[in-house]
Amino acid sequence: MRKSFTAVIERNAVLSGAFATEAYEAAWAGEARWFIRILALEGEGAALRVQPEISPDGLFWCEEGTKVPPMTAEGLYSFPLRDFGHWLRLSGEITGTENGGNASVRVIIYLALKS
Amino acid sequence: MTTANELFLALIRANPKLSRYNPLRRILFFDDFNEGMNGWCELLGNHDGNLDNVREAVADLRPPQLSNCTFFDIGTHGAMDGNYSLKLATRAKANHMSQAIKRITQVKRGLVQFETFFTYKAEQTFVRRRGNGAKEWDGNFDPSETDFGDFTFSNDVCEGESGIRYHCALRYVNTDDKGNLVQKWMYKTSVQPTTKMVRAGLAKDLGDYHVIDPSDWAEIPGGYQPLCYNEVPTKINWHYLRWTFDTGKRRNVELQVNNLVMDLRNIPVPVYEHEYHGIRNLLNFCVDVRTHTNVRNFLYLDSVLVSVEE
Repeated sequence: MRKSFTAVIERNAVLSGAFATEAYEAAWAGEARWFIRILALEGEGAALRVQPEISPDGLFWCEEGTKVPPMTAEGLYSFPLRDFGHWLRLSGEITGTENGGNASVRVIIYLALKS
Repeated sequence: MTTANELFLALIRANPKLSRYNPLRRILFFDDFNEGMNGWCELLGNHDGNLDNVREAVADLRPPQLSNCTFFDIGTHGAMDGNYSLKLATRAKANHMSQAIKRITQVKRGLVQFETFFTYKAEQTFVRRRGNGAKEWDGNFDPSETDFGDFTFSNDVCEGESGIRYHCALRYVNTDDKGNLVQKWMYKTSVQPTTKMVRAGLAKDLGDYHVIDPSDWAEIPGGYQPLCYNEVPTKINWHYLRWTFDTGKRRNVELQVNNLVMDLRNIPVPVYEHEYHGIRNLLNFCVDVRTHTNVRNFLYLDSVLVSVEE
């Protein structure tokens, strides 16, 4: 039986400006899938842009290379990763403006892993 | 003639995975984290489907991880047995706590024993943060040791619909909130604020998940115990821990950490004054780690064994 685990990396979190999620160890997993559920977007032209990142040590990061289209509406988004090692996170930013300030999104971010 | 007890001990000692433990007569579960999470999961505060109703104090306790203990300088350290251990990681935010929980129910009230091999670390940093006067790296001492706050082993016990509910909680305080080494085992002296209590105005979240007031902790007699941090943040040494409590007598019994055995029989266990619905015979096991600085703190468990008297 293959092992699996779903980690909730962000839960009901409000993101604004540039961000990076906490590191998550995935050495045991052969495949991963990010799920991003946008509960709300606030602001003119609000868009969530993310790129998956990988790290050998959880301290220093580079882009994994998968291109993810900007997310501009509430809903559930997803993309898979393979051949990563061994740490995963998302970095990104929320573009757009709200009352002259930064736009924001409220999200739940899942990392679904399978051996 | 071989007695049943001698046969039991012989079978335990013949198994390399179990022979490092000292189980009571009935093993409830043995969690080898090379085989997955084994039911350890993130604790989240109660809500009604609306996540806005989760108390901030219990909204972000972080998902547990399966770690091969990889560090930037030496690569993979591995666990005590095999590749993987259960890892809890805080955020890099002072007073942030990460907690994992495993949930079962009691078959019968009596002795329960939680055993594990654990290690703990603060995350590697590359800049000095303490300011003038702080002790510097001297080739042996590393300031990383003072970046580590505390970790706690606890339970959640309920005897029935109209029965008594309580938590036992035993904390290793590595540093105080100013970064001074304390290195003592403590027990809590007040109940843990629950969502029911906070919503009813009976308690507030004042910065310590386990207690009403953050100062509600007392030293376990004889509980001073410097552990083996091993100098730098990238070397790990596993420690044996055995904690016995008695759900028949509603008290702790003993805490053993390596060679130190602490008698807990006379330590009071705070009990809730009100009832809880829907948790009949609840028996939960919790582990958590808390940072006192803006540096991530990690707690690792190689494996866990829980046994009962009968």
